[in-house]
Amino acid sequence: MSKIVTLQQSIMAEDEKFAASIREANRKRGLLMVNIIGSPGCGKTTLLERTAKESGLSFAVIEGDLATNRDAERLDVLGIPVVQVNTHGGCHLEANVVEKAMETLPLDSLDILFVENVGNLVCPAEFDLGEDFKAAVLSAPEGADKPLKYPYLFSSSKIVLLTKTDLLPYLPFDMKMFTDDVKSLNPEAPVLYLNGLTGEGFGGWTDFLKDRIKEKKADAR
Amino acid sequence: MHEVSLAESIAAALLQMQEEHRWKSVVEVRLRIGALRQVFPDILSFAFNTVTRSTALEGARLVVEDVPLSFRCRDCGTSWQEETVLCPSCGSIHRETVAGMELDIESVEVEE
Ligand SMILES: [Zn+2]
Repeated sequence: MSKIVTLQQSIMAEDEKFAASIREANRKRGLLMVNIIGSPGCGKTTLLERTAKESGLSFAVIEGDLATNRDAERLDVLGIPVVQVNTHGGCHLEANVVEKAMETLPLDSLDILFVENVGNLVCPAEFDLGEDFKAAVLSAPEGADKPLKYPYLFSSSKIVLLTKTDLLPYLPFDMKMFTDDVKSLNPEAPVLYLNGLTGEGFGGWTDFLKDRIKEKKADAR
Repeated sequence: MHEVSLAESIAAALLQMQEEHRWKSVVEVRLRIGALRQVFPDILSFAFNTVTRSTALEGARLVVEDVPLSFRCRDCGTSWQEETVLCPSCGSIHRETVAGMELDIESVEVEE
């Protein structure tokens, strides 16, 4: 006998259970968690290095990497606690892996937990890790057409960061198209322009983080 | 190729349910997938067939229902479908996406 069973559940239901447990634990702690998503080489690690220099905030990083631990080493030399999670070719991090990685970090003494997701604009955006928000990172050399090519990431992120702005004078990057496209996907997300070499634009980013930390700590109990 | 990740998640969820409910087999899986997710149904089906090979789900068919984008204004409550940044009725920027983000397993047809 065949029968139809109605489920109406998310494809990600299993992952979402772990994500919900992380979110609840961080709510109690008052710890802000940010999921950083961008292509390989878009400057995610440089963004974190510079954020450490400019913000004075105490944070830790969960580093998702396909195979190496080079990014983790770069952060380690700055004294940033970092846990490396190799996905062994997997294109994204999942919440159960992140929850395990969190156990080894001094979470109660941090302002922020960053997840530097695997370099990829598609799969990482689909897996909820229990973060407070996603930050979409695009580097200027990748081109202004990317938001419309990866609409889910750009519409589900709370903030959009354009990195490597020092290269803009040398690139055919259509700034108006880029900002218009991001606005059309996500009218309320701020778009920030960052130069990781000089620190230009980082004030806006660190202010944004500090405001979110304040909100998070105020809600904790 | 996020279809592979999605196919793996669908298969994992269904295998777990199949074990719980002791279904003999799964004949058809109906999904609802929002336009923003950019899922190609043919690629998803191909990936699903591949990841379920030699499992209890082998042979199950995937059927994808596309859910179009839809927005709602948080200020005046107007709903609309065409991709515009501002609310067509009051001009507010406080738009929320109410459909188009779906990634749901709607139902399954099973043999008991
Ligand atoms: Zn309105």
